[in-house]
Amino acid sequence: MEALNIVHGMATVLSDPTTIIFIFLGVFAGVFVGALPGLTATTGCALLLPFTFGHAPLQGILMLVGVFCGGIYGGSLSAILLRTPGTPAAAATMIDGFPMSERGEAGRAIGLATVASFVGGIVGAFVMTLMAPKLAAIGLAFGPPEFFALTLFGLAMIVAVSADSLMLGILAAAIGMWITTIGFDPIAATSRYTFGLRDLLGGVELIPILVGLFGVTQVFMRSEKLLTFPKSAKNETYLPTWSDLVLTKWTAVKSALIGVFVGSVPGAGCDIAAFAAYSELKRSEGPDSDLGQGNPKGIVAPEAANNAATSGALIPMLSLGVPGDAVTAVLLGALTIHGFEPGPVFFTTNLDLIYALFAGVIIAQIALLIVGLSLTGLFAKLIRIDQRVMIPVIMFLCMIGSYSVRYSVFDMFVALLFGCIGFLFEKARIPLSPMLLGVVLGTLSEQNLRRSLIMSHGDLLIFVQRPVSLLLICGAVLAIGLMLMRARAKAQS
Amino acid sequence: MTNYKGLFAALSLTVASTGAVAQDYPAKDVTMIVPWSAGGGTDTIARSLVGEAESCFGENINVVNKTGAVGAIGMGGTSTARSDGYTVGLITFNLSTYGLLGQADLSYRDFDLIQLINQSPGAITVAADSEFQTLGDLMTYTQENPGVVTVGHAGTGGAWHLSAATLAKEYGASFNYVPFDGSANVRTALLGNHVAVATTGIDEMKQLMEAGEVRILAVNALERADAFPDVPTVSEAGYPLAAPVYDWRGLAMPKGIDEAVKAKIVSGFKACFESESFQTLAKEKGLPLVYKDPAEFETFLADLETSLEAAISDLGIGK
Repeated sequence: MEALNIVHGMATVLSDPTTIIFIFLGVFAGVFVGALPGLTATTGCALLLPFTFGHAPLQGILMLVGVFCGGIYGGSLSAILLRTPGTPAAAATMIDGFPMSERGEAGRAIGLATVASFVGGIVGAFVMTLMAPKLAAIGLAFGPPEFFALTLFGLAMIVAVSADSLMLGILAAAIGMWITTIGFDPIAATSRYTFGLRDLLGGVELIPILVGLFGVTQVFMRSEKLLTFPKSAKNETYLPTWSDLVLTKWTAVKSALIGVFVGSVPGAGCDIAAFAAYSELKRSEGPDSDLGQGNPKGIVAPEAANNAATSGALIPMLSLGVPGDAVTAVLLGALTIHGFEPGPVFFTTNLDLIYALFAGVIIAQIALLIVGLSLTGLFAKLIRIDQRVMIPVIMFLCMIGSYSVRYSVFDMFVALLFGCIGFLFEKARIPLSPMLLGVVLGTLSEQNLRRSLIMSHGDLLIFVQRPVSLLLICGAVLAIGLMLMRARAKAQS
Repeated sequence: MTNYKGLFAALSLTVASTGAVAQDYPAKDVTMIVPWSAGGGTDTIARSLVGEAESCFGENINVVNKTGAVGAIGMGGTSTARSDGYTVGLITFNLSTYGLLGQADLSYRDFDLIQLINQSPGAITVAADSEFQTLGDLMTYTQENPGVVTVGHAGTGGAWHLSAATLAKEYGASFNYVPFDGSANVRTALLGNHVAVATTGIDEMKQLMEAGEVRILAVNALERADAFPDVPTVSEAGYPLAAPVYDWRGLAMPKGIDEAVKAKIVSGFKACFESESFQTLAKEKGLPLVYKDPAEFETFLADLETSLEAAISDLGIGK
C-alpha cells in the first residue's frame, strides 16, 4: 500500500522538472544558511517563506523541506571547520569533527558528514513513509513526566560522556539550566532574574548563547595563537574512503533510527536527536574509545541522527498538526497559508500531496548528497585561509547571526558575554557541551517537571508509575552510576 | 520683517510637505511587526491579511517577526517605531495583561489603534472517549471532586486560562490547571490523555472535532460560533456567564502619525480585511472575524482591562 503510494508520489515529483529545481535550490540555500554561524534552518525557511506563495504548494513546501535538510547539514560544515556549529543540531558533530579537521583531515570529516547525512536522511525518509501514523501515536504517549525523564536522561548522558570530571560536567549543565530560568515563567506567570529589562523578559535566546559559547570563544582562542600558521590539509580527496564507510555503516543506520524516533517526539528537535545518538555511540563504544579526538564514528552518529530527525520532525507536524521543532512550525505555517490544514484528517484528505511530499523528501536527500559532495572541496579550502582574515570574518558572522534571530542588538551583547564566559570556561577546563545541552533542555526539563507535579498534586511517584518515564529514569541513573564506578576503578588503579 | 517672511515660508512649506506626504502615502513598502513567530496562528493571520496588500492597500506590506517576551518585544517595537506611517504592528491579547501580571509597562494606551481583526471565544474540550458527555457532567463531577480534573491551557494568565477560570470561579468548580506552552501543546496533551480537559480557542479545535478525536462541550461565549453551529454556549449548557473572556487580535501604529496618513492606514487595512481572500481564509479556519474601528476598539480594550483586572486578582495570579 505505502509502496504503491510512494511510487505514485515519486512520479508526481519527477514529472515536473521545476519541482526538482526547487528542491535543489532549497538544499543549496539551506547549506549556505546553515553553514553561517547563528543563521539556522529556521531563519532560512522564514526568509524564503514569502517566496513560496507565488508557486504551487508542492514546489514551495519542498523547497522549504530542502532548506531544512540543507540547513541541518550545513551547520556541521562550520562545526567541523571552524569549531563553530552553524546550528544547534551540529553542536554534537563538533566534538569529533573539529579535532579531525585540526589534524588536517577536513576533507575526510566533511565527506563523512555528507554521506552520513545522506544515509540518515534516506533512512529517516523511509521510516517516515512507512511508519508515520504509528510513530505519531507513540509521540503522543510522551506527556509531561516522560518529557522530564527524557531530559534527565539526556543530561545524564552528556555529563557522563563529555566531562573528564563528573563535578565539572554537572556544574556546566547546571549553569546552562540556570540560564534558562531567566525570563518570563509561563507556569507561574511571573518574571525571574530580568532586573526589569524587557529584552530579558522572553529569556536569553538560544542562538546568541550558542554563537557566543562556540563562535566568539573560538575567535578569542584563535586570536591567542594568531601567528600559528594553519596546517595544510594532507588528505585532499573529499570522497570518504571505502574503509571509513564500512567502519561506520552500523553507526549510521542505528543513529538514523534514533534520530527519526527522537525527531518524531513533538518538542524534541534535531539538536536533541544528535546528542542522543552521540550519547548512545559513546555508551556502545565503551570507556576506552578515542571519541572526542576525531573518531569517524563520532561524526557519523550525530550527522545521521540530525538529518533523520528532519523526517522525524515532519511526522507529528503532518499527522497531528503539532510541529516537532521550530523549523516544522514554519513549515506548518507555510502549509496553512497554501490552504492546507495538517492534522489527523490531513492524511486521508490529501494523500496525493502527502506521498508526493515524502517522495520529495527522499529526492532532497539525493540533492543534499550531490550539493554536499560538490561543495566539499570549496568548503575545505576555507580552513587554509589566513587566520588574520578568518578571525574577523567569523566575528562578523557571529554578530550577524546573533542579531538576525529577532533583529536585536541586545542579542549581540549576549553573544559577546557568552564568548567571554566560554573563553574562561575553556581556560578552567569546564566542558562547554553539557552547558549547551543544559540550555537546550533546561526549559523543557523545568516546565515538564513542574507540570508533572501539578498533575500529581506534588507526588514524585508519577515519574516511576509510568513505564516510559521509569525506563528513561533508570537509564539516567545507570549512566551516572557507571561513570562513578569507572571513576572509582580508575582511582584505585 | 524678512524674518517673519522666512518663518511663513518655512511654515507653508511644512504644511505643503505634510499634505504631500499624506497624498502620496503609501509611497513605499510598509513594514508590519508581528510579535509572534513565523508560521504560528497569529503570523498566518497577519500574512494572509496583507497577502494582497498591493491591490487593497496600495503598496506591499512586509511582515517582520519580532518575537520574545510573550509578545512584548514586538509590540514594544511597534509603539516606539518611527511615526512616518511606514511601520505598523499586530497586537494581541497579551497587551491587555502585561500591566496586570506585572510583565511589562505596555498597554493599548501606548499606540494609536487601527482596528480589531478577530475576537475568538474559548472552548471547553474533552477527548472523544472521555466520560464527560456534557458541560453539566464535567461541572457536577468537579464540584463534587475538587482539584481532580486536570485542565490544560496555553499559559498562566493567558486568554484561555482566564476563560476557563472565570467560569469555574462563578460556579465553585475547582480544576487542576496544567499550563502548557501554547495551544498546540495543549492539543497534543489532550490527545495523549495527559490532561482530561483542554481550554483553547474554539477555532484551534476545529480540525480535531471534524476528525472525531475530541468533543467540544461548550463555547465560552454569549453566542454560538458561526463555524460551530452544534456547539452550545455555556449559558445554553446551564452555566451562564455575564462577561466571558475573549481572545483578540488587532492592528496598531505608533503615536504621532499625521492625521491624514492615519486615515489612509485605517481605510487601507479595512479594505484588506474585507477582501474576499482574507474572508475566505478566516471562514475555512473557523476564525470569528470582528471589525471595530479605532474608537470602538479603544472602548473594547478599556472595558476588557477592567473585567480582566477583577478576574486576575480573583485568581490570585500576577504581581
